[in-house]
Amino acid sequence: MSGPSQTSMGQGSRIVLNVYLGIFFIYMFLPLILMVAAGFNDFSPPSVTVWRGFTLKWFGVLAADTRMWQGLINSLIIASIVIAVSLPFGLAGAFLISRFNSRFNGLIYGIMVSPLLTPGIILGISTLIFWRNIGVSGGLITAAIAQASFISSYTMLMFMARLERQDITLEEAAMDLGATHAQVFRRITLPFLRPTILTAGFIALLQSFENYNTTIFSIGGSSTLVTEIGSRMRFGLSPAINVIGIIFIVLTIIFATVYVVFRQKERARAAAR
Amino acid sequence: MNNLLKSFGPTMTAVILLLAGTWIIGMIVGPQLIMVEQSLWHNAKASDAVGVSVRIDKLYNEVDLLGFSKADAEAMQASPERDRKIAGIAASIAEKKALISKLEAHEVKSTRAYSLRNYAMMTGNHIAIFFKTIAASVAVTLIAFLVCYPIAYTVAKLATPGKAALIMLGLIVPYSINELLRIFAWLMILNYNGVVNYLLGLIGFDPVPFLESGAGVFIAMVYAYILFMVFPIYNAVETLDMAQIEAARDLGAPVWQIHRRVVLPHAKPGIAVGCIMTFMLSAGSYAVPYIMTRGTAAPWFTQLIYNKFFESDDWNVGSAYAFTLLVACIMFIFMMMRLFKVGIKDIAK
Repeated sequence: MSGPSQTSMGQGSRIVLNVYLGIFFIYMFLPLILMVAAGFNDFSPPSVTVWRGFTLKWFGVLAADTRMWQGLINSLIIASIVIAVSLPFGLAGAFLISRFNSRFNGLIYGIMVSPLLTPGIILGISTLIFWRNIGVSGGLITAAIAQASFISSYTMLMFMARLERQDITLEEAAMDLGATHAQVFRRITLPFLRPTILTAGFIALLQSFENYNTTIFSIGGSSTLVTEIGSRMRFGLSPAINVIGIIFIVLTIIFATVYVVFRQKERARAAAR
Repeated sequence: MNNLLKSFGPTMTAVILLLAGTWIIGMIVGPQLIMVEQSLWHNAKASDAVGVSVRIDKLYNEVDLLGFSKADAEAMQASPERDRKIAGIAASIAEKKALISKLEAHEVKSTRAYSLRNYAMMTGNHIAIFFKTIAASVAVTLIAFLVCYPIAYTVAKLATPGKAALIMLGLIVPYSINELLRIFAWLMILNYNGVVNYLLGLIGFDPVPFLESGAGVFIAMVYAYILFMVFPIYNAVETLDMAQIEAARDLGAPVWQIHRRVVLPHAKPGIAVGCIMTFMLSAGSYAVPYIMTRGTAAPWFTQLIYNKFFESDDWNVGSAYAFTLLVACIMFIFMMMRLFKVGIKDIAK
C-alpha cells in the first residue's frame, strides 16, 4: 500500500529523511531516558550529571509516601465518577446527533465538541464558579464534573463513530417481529456498542487520571496523584518523582505496544479480506 | 423527534434527552454563561460602608454594657422594681440587636454593579503578558507544524508497514506519557545545575539561567505539545490516494510542488486540527509555566488567572481574564477554519 514509493525516492533524500527521523526520536526520547536514569541514581535532587551509583531506594521512598497514595486514591475516585458520568452522557449525545434530525443538529454538535477545543483551565474555572453558586465548593466532585464535561465529548465521538457503522435494519427487523423498544436496546443496540463502551471507558479512565490543567483549577484543597506530582515538582525535587516517571513509562510502553500490535493485526485482517 | 422516538420509544427518548440536556446545559453552556456573568459584575460596597461598620461596632459595645447592667440587676433582691429594671434592659438590648442585624444586612448586601470594569483591569503589564502568551503559543504551533509535517507524511506514505508501526510506537509512547513528567524531564535538563549547563561547563561556558529567562517554558512547551500536531496530520495524509502523488511525479512535478499542490491541500483539515490543538494547549497551559519557571520568570497568562482566583480571591476579575483567553482561542479557531477552509465537522472528528 505505502511501500512502493521507497524505490522512486532518491537515495539522497532518503538519507536526509532518516537522519531527520533519527534526530527527532533522540529529541523525543533522550529527556525521558535521562529522567529514568536519575530515578536509579543514589543522589538527590534528581540528577544524571552527578552519579553516585545504582539504587532502588527511591522506589521505597515513593512507596512510603502517604500523600502520593492518598492522591492515587483520589484519582481513582474521580476517574470512577468520570466514567459513570461520561459514558451515559456521551452515549446520549451520540444518539441525539445520529438519530435526531433537526436543523439544530450542527449547533448541538458544535456545543458537544466545544469542550475539546476549550483550554482545560477554563473548563475547571467555569465548573468551579457554577457549582459555588449552588453552594458546592471545590473538591473531588467538582473536579470530576469538570473533567467529565470534556471527557464526555471524547466518548460521544467514539460512540458516534460506532453508530455510523450500525446496520439500522436489524433494529427495524426486531421491531417488526414485535420486540419492544427496551428489548431492542438491550438485545441489539447495547451488544453492538459493547466494544466501544469498553474502549471509551478505558479512554475516560486514562484521560481523567492524566488530567492536570482542568483538575488543578477545580479541585479546591484536595489533590490527585497528578496534582500532587505537580506541586512536588515545584517544591522540593526528589528522585521519587522520577520513580513515578519510570512506572508511568513502563505502563505506557506496555499499553502502546499492545495497541500498535493490535492495530497492525486489525489492518492485516482487513487487508486479507 | 422522528428517528429517536422510532428507535427508542418515549421512555428511553426522554432519558436520552434528559442526559444529553444535562450535559449540554449543566456542564457546558451553563458554566460558561455563569463565568461570563461573573466577569461582568463586581461587588460595589455602599458609599457609607465605613460609617455603618463603625456604628455596628459601637452598638455591639452598648449591648455588652447593657448585658453587664442586666447581670447587676439580676443580682438584686427579688422585687417588682428589679423585674421592671430587667425588662427595661432586655427591651433595650433587643432593640439594639434588631438595629445591628438591620445594619449588618445592609452592610453584607453589597450590590452587584454590572460593568466592564473587570476587563478594564487588564492593563499595562497584564496586557503585555497576554500578548506574549498568545505570540509564544503561535510560535509553538508554527514550530510544531514544521517539525511534524515530514514525520506525519513519512509514517503515512513513505515507510514500509513494519517501519511505520515502529515509528508509530515511537510517537505514541512519548505522546501518552503524562504531560507533567515530560515537562519534568526538561526541568532536569535545563535547571541551573542541569544537564545542558553541565555540558556547557565542560567546554568552559558559564551556566545559562534557562528557567529564569522564560526560555525553559518555551522549550518545554514545544516538547510537551508537539505531538498533538503529528496525529491529526497523519490521519489526514493517510487518506490521500498514493496514485495522486505518483501521477504528479510522473507528470514531472518536483517534490515541493507535489507537497504544495497535492499533499498539503489534502491534509488541510488535519493541519487545522493540529494547529488548533497545539495553540489551545499552549495558550491554556498552566502546568508548563508552573513547573518550568518555579516562580522565577515572568508569568504566563494562565498563571495570572490562577492568582486572581486562588491568591487575590477576586473571582470576578479572574473570570474576565479567563473569558479573554477563551475568546482568543475561539478567534484562533475561526482563523484556522478560514485559512484552511474547513468546517467544524471536519475539525472535530
